[in-house]
Amino acid sequence: MSEHSLEHELRWHTSYWPLLLSVGILFLAPLAFTFYFVYNKPFLAIVSLGVGAPLTLISIAGWVKEGMEDIHGYGEGLSVWAMPFFIVAEALLFVGFFAAYWVMRLSAPVWPPAGTPEMPLLVPIVMTIILVSSSITIHIGEKRLEEGDNSGFLTWLGVTLVLGILFLAFSAFEWTELFHEGFNFKTNAYSTAFFSITGFHASHVLVGVGIFLCVLLPALAGRTNVAFVRSASMYWHFVDIVWFFVVSQIYFW
Amino acid sequence: MKDRSVILGLILLAPIILFSTAHAGEGIPDPRAGWNELWHELMIDITLIGLVFAGVTVYFMVRYKRQRPDEEGGSFKLTPLGAFGWTLIPAFIFMADDIFLAAKNFELWNDYRNVPENAYVVEVEAYMWGWNVKYPDEGIEVNNEMYVPQGRPIMVRLTSRDVVHSFFIPDFRVKWDALPGRTTYLWFYPKERGEHVMTCTEYCGLLHSNMYGKIKVISQDEFSSWIEKNKKEGGAV
Amino acid sequence: MSVSVESLNYQSRFSLKEWIFTTDHKRIGVLYLIGSFAAFFLAGLMAMLMRTELSSIGPTITENPNTYNVWLYFHGAAMILGYQIPALTGFFANYYVPLMIGAKDVAFPRLNALSVWLFWMGIVLALLTFVIPDPPDIMWTGYPPYSTMTPGNTALYTFTVLLIGFSSIAGGVNFLTTIMYMRAPGVTWNKLNVFIWCILAAFIIQLIFVPVLGVAVTMLSLDKYLGTNFFNAAMGGDPLIYQNLFWFYSHPAVYVILLPAMGLIYEIIATFSRNSIFNYKGILYGGIWGVVLLGGIVWAHHLYIAGIPDWMALVHVFLTLLISVPVGLMMVGLVGTLYRGSIEYKTPMLYAIGFIFLFLIGGLTGIPNAMSAIYIHITETYWIPGHFHYVMAISVTTAIIGGTYYVFPKLTGRMYHEGLGKLGFFIFFIGVNITFFLTLLMGVKGMPRRYYDYPQFPELEGIQQITTYGSYLIFVSAVIILVSWIHGLVAGEKAPQNPWGSRSLEWTHAPSPPPPGNFPRKLELTEEWSPYNYGS
Ligand code: HEA
Ligand code: HEA
Ligand code: CUA
Ligand SMILES: [Cu+2]
Repeated sequence: MSEHSLEHELRWHTSYWPLLLSVGILFLAPLAFTFYFVYNKPFLAIVSLGVGAPLTLISIAGWVKEGMEDIHGYGEGLSVWAMPFFIVAEALLFVGFFAAYWVMRLSAPVWPPAGTPEMPLLVPIVMTIILVSSSITIHIGEKRLEEGDNSGFLTWLGVTLVLGILFLAFSAFEWTELFHEGFNFKTNAYSTAFFSITGFHASHVLVGVGIFLCVLLPALAGRTNVAFVRSASMYWHFVDIVWFFVVSQIYFW
Repeated sequence: MKDRSVILGLILLAPIILFSTAHAGEGIPDPRAGWNELWHELMIDITLIGLVFAGVTVYFMVRYKRQRPDEEGGSFKLTPLGAFGWTLIPAFIFMADDIFLAAKNFELWNDYRNVPENAYVVEVEAYMWGWNVKYPDEGIEVNNEMYVPQGRPIMVRLTSRDVVHSFFIPDFRVKWDALPGRTTYLWFYPKERGEHVMTCTEYCGLLHSNMYGKIKVISQDEFSSWIEKNKKEGGAV
Repeated sequence: MSVSVESLNYQSRFSLKEWIFTTDHKRIGVLYLIGSFAAFFLAGLMAMLMRTELSSIGPTITENPNTYNVWLYFHGAAMILGYQIPALTGFFANYYVPLMIGAKDVAFPRLNALSVWLFWMGIVLALLTFVIPDPPDIMWTGYPPYSTMTPGNTALYTFTVLLIGFSSIAGGVNFLTTIMYMRAPGVTWNKLNVFIWCILAAFIIQLIFVPVLGVAVTMLSLDKYLGTNFFNAAMGGDPLIYQNLFWFYSHPAVYVILLPAMGLIYEIIATFSRNSIFNYKGILYGGIWGVVLLGGIVWAHHLYIAGIPDWMALVHVFLTLLISVPVGLMMVGLVGTLYRGSIEYKTPMLYAIGFIFLFLIGGLTGIPNAMSAIYIHITETYWIPGHFHYVMAISVTTAIIGGTYYVFPKLTGRMYHEGLGKLGFFIFFIGVNITFFLTLLMGVKGMPRRYYDYPQFPELEGIQQITTYGSYLIFVSAVIILVSWIHGLVAGEKAPQNPWGSRSLEWTHAPSPPPPGNFPRKLELTEEWSPYNYGS
């Protein structure tokens, strides 16, 4: 251990972003939801979002920037090993939702229950194709990065992002269609499962897109972290795999 | 080391040997009596286990108290065989007790769940915060009161109008949840005349603790005349 | 080495910035400690109010049952989610894991800081209970359909659980990675402190089961505020879905609490008996992993009479009873570690010994619960609070307080006052036994839990009253314990590096208190090194 590093070690390390991020999250979700849905105060809800959203975004940006600079010299290299643990937890979230769906479905006298319109089957197929392609494109991008081909990486990452956003657009489109047909959260047990599971999956796609943005923006400025990219793409593959369950269980069963 | 395990095992198995004499039950079983009996055995069982562990602990506490400040422990290490023995032997002893208890439980559970054929059926609908007691054959409804004939098994069918409640008669050692959207049941066997508390044991809001009533066990004759009287008056009491 | 630890004076000045923005595991641990003890004291004060209310039939200190229900809601939720889980998997895990495995810090220090602050946001949210006009009154179990119909604020419950749950998941990812990949050379799997194994097991459980709880409470708010039908029987939903999902997490959660607490007790007993752990591998592979394996498949023992199928009840009876095997092995290990030891009765050791007795009562009173037929009478009566206060509230609190006395010199660099410490212990021990033994007794007599009042059981008023007096004794002991810590903190003697003569890394290789980066010198561990290598 060199003298310099010892001196460095013997200082308390700090970072602003964890605390700010947690405050941001508090305003963004719990408080905004509570104001809007519990107390019917849309104005306060918007104020709360107005505080929470920027705080969250700034903190994430600051966090990523700090991580790229890696001022403390340890940690993030292990993210490839940590991501599988996180994925286990994520998978169990879906297990919870699916378990509820299966119980409701298997105990129902008739399925689908009254009030369910004809479900579109083309849209989910298209969405499947989009998501599977995006898994392939990010894989190619990852390979390019490992080969040291930075611009190739950027291109494929960009394509992946576009596909992810396209997927979300389809999702939104489908939801609006269904709402117009009078099929919403309240309709019946199927609508409950349908909207919660597809919605929850879409929120994961959204998070995935967010993570890729956190990779893309620094990468445009020439900074990438291979371990981080690898874990991000691992996450994306996971979201893709979950989609197979969503499609097979919710749409085609 | 082995000897000790054997002794420990015998002590732990003692309750099994002592109580494996099956309780004689003729005709209709009475879950209340069965419960009291099994409870008694169980208390002896777990008390013995507790005393063995606590006794050994107290003995070690006194025996191995530090005598000099610089005294070291024996740094006692098990041989691989010893480790196996100290894992498997206690495990099997504990498991033996578990199997014994599970078997005992199975018997009693069946008594609780198999309703005798001649049982008198009463329907109870729980609501926030009270019990609506119905006599389906007679078209009678009573609130927070249940009259039942002495000497006949009573089956209660439970439903709920709103949230989850639980129907509890402490004196008869029975309770079961009442849920919206499905029917559950329990039965009990009032052998003597008397009054008993029925009360709610699943948290259901503001007046959860006030959701109680009386069960009145009356003789067969009194019960028949009670039925007749209320039938004439057109149901509600 | 020319830069000495002292010359840098990393301790001497207090900087608020270096505390609230810290990413150091020891300081994050302290932040957890403060939060979790605040939750404990507050929830404990709620318990005092509840006990006072119960000391006589009819209104005693409040006329409104809802007030009592909110106290009880807060008491249960804060004690479990705000106090015990954060104290164990937050404070003790943070403080000990890097020190015991010889690492500079955890794998992701900033994620660690996020964990602690999410936990704090959860506390902030929980405190809103006392501010809003419609506090949650749904008990810590939050069963629907009551929780989706109540005028109380169920969203507050949902989000408190979600914030603390997310904090736990982040902690799980962090600590599993740390323990698996950051052990110093020489700290091999079979030489890890038992406490580290317990933490590893606890976080595996958290990682698998917390998400399921998260889903369950999310569905509550979806049902209540967005009108979905998960638990609405009239629309094809089923309240039992919630009960199953909730207990699928909340049963394993009791082992998230128990395992680290037992781990602390092992460390204390080994140190104060100067003895190696009895049957280390049996405890590890039979005990800890047995608990992890069985813990996830016994949840229906909370639902025997809730309307589940008979076969499911009977399977869960047997599996639940089987848990006595791994836990029993762990108890054999605890008692066995005393064998041929050299036992010294300092305050932490008193708590550790107390744990053995209290946990025996608590664990063994779980056996009747596990038996479905016996359960029918005692479920939802005071027997259940009796059982879980013994096993969780009391045993585990004993471990937490004892563990805090044990780290005190390392944590603060000062010694606590031995006499005050012992006094606190004895009053605590007497108080809890009066309070909770009588609670068990009332349960057998049929006193239902979650009752604001009990006019239907007039004969129980006397016992209720003595129980309340017992609980005042606990309060007195809590104050003494708190005073002994504050006294130690401001006026205690300076602590040596290793006051207990332990062989574990945090005592042998790190100064009291440890500097940033923990170990001033590079660790060089010999073949013979082991955290329990006594007598040589
Ligand atoms: C730290 C917390 C903790 C721990 C460790 C335990 C441990 C156990 N618990 Fe407990 N329990 C709770 C916390 C805990 N519990 C809580 C909070 C509730 C109530 C929740 C609520 O409704 O609000 C509850 C409720 C609860 C119920 C449901 C009651 C109801 O719904 O009304 C049941 C039922 O089976 C149960 C059983 C057990 C068993 C069998 C164990 C076993 O793990 C115990 C094993 C230990 C021993 C057995 C003792 C040591 C072993 C030996 C000495 C070996 C020899 C022994 C034998 C062979 C028997 N518990
Ligand atoms: C870890 C968990 C834990 C702990 C430690 C405790 C601790 C205590 N609990 Fe509780 N309890 C639960 C978990 C816990 N409890 C749960 C989960 C429930 C079920 C909830 C439900 O039904 O949903 C419950 C329910 C419960 C009931 C049942 C009520 C009912 O069903 O109606 C009762 C009643 O006696 C009770 C009492 C107590 C008492 C007297 C203590 C005492 O040991 C408390 C001692 C602590 C103190 C006295 C604090 C001292 C404070 C200070 C020193 C601060 C001083 C400083 C300043 C003022 C700055 N608890
Ligand atoms: Cu009805 Cu409690
Ligand atoms: Cu349990």
